[in-house]
Amino acid sequence: MKKFLLSICLVCTPLSVHAGPMGFKNSVMSMGDFSANWREGFANYAFTPRDAVGAEALWMRSDNKQRVRELKEITYTRLLSRWNMPEAQANIWLVAGGGIVTGNDFADTQTIITPGLQLDYETTRVYLASNARLYRAKNLNHDYASIRAGFSFYEVDYDQTQPWLILEARRMRGLSDRTEITPLLRLIHNRYFVELGVNNSQQTRFNFMYIF
Amino acid sequence: MKRTLIFITLITAGINAFAATSVKLKVNGMVCAFCAQGIEKRLNKLSSTQAVFVDLKQKIVAVEAKEGQTLDIKTITNEIVDAGYDVVKAETVTQSVAEIKAAMKGKK
Repeated sequence: MKKFLLSICLVCTPLSVHAGPMGFKNSVMSMGDFSANWREGFANYAFTPRDAVGAEALWMRSDNKQRVRELKEITYTRLLSRWNMPEAQANIWLVAGGGIVTGNDFADTQTIITPGLQLDYETTRVYLASNARLYRAKNLNHDYASIRAGFSFYEVDYDQTQPWLILEARRMRGLSDRTEITPLLRLIHNRYFVELGVNNSQQTRFNFMYIF
Repeated sequence: MKRTLIFITLITAGINAFAATSVKLKVNGMVCAFCAQGIEKRLNKLSSTQAVFVDLKQKIVAVEAKEGQTLDIKTITNEIVDAGYDVVKAETVTQSVAEIKAAMKGKK
């Protein structure tokens, strides 16, 4: 089973800056992902152990800085499957949204839908995730895919700070012709989660997550 | 001799009466700080909970009962399962969370 899940994680595609795109039941999870061409803010509320509703705002810009998209949407997150192993956990998540998108190269506000899947596998020392998400509106296709792999430098108790090195590759259709590759230093401490890195365009990247 | 035995019995009973009771569980799938946090928060909300300890490395969750109260293993197991994890072993022990924590630290 472990090998099968690892294979899925490696061949499929991702998004989130963390293990799961939602927190525990009755928690509010907030996250942000910021770089020169990508600014994303997201929050959701887990109303069951497997379901969360939320809102997302995303600003995206093409590599040549000519085209801009602004997206606002309501999201639904569902834990489709989970495998709890003695030393690991693997998940399949559905992340879907619907909202509006505006751009500087087309008139009017358009309706956009953003269905996606995330697969992840995590131990206390290893992290693998892949995410694929469609960003579709009339005459717009900004489908997105990412893959992440990383390891922690050492094990800690959960109330201590744990550093990780994560390597992410991501790509979005229609706005960028290149794959963005970012090595990130990840720090997790209790309910705090931050990542800092520099991508292959020499742009700084900052991610955070916090669970209330 | 009889008096000595009665004295020892009374002393032992007295010690047991004041010994802390905890439920100790082995949990599969608990690999990250967020997992631990979710479990800890849920268990702390139970009315009979005095303290909670989570050991990520050894996948152990320990819950100590308030003095004079009893912990229900089934309720605790259900809370952990509802949080998204699998309980593979659960037992009641006459140890406080602090004692379990110290023992766990000693094993590392």
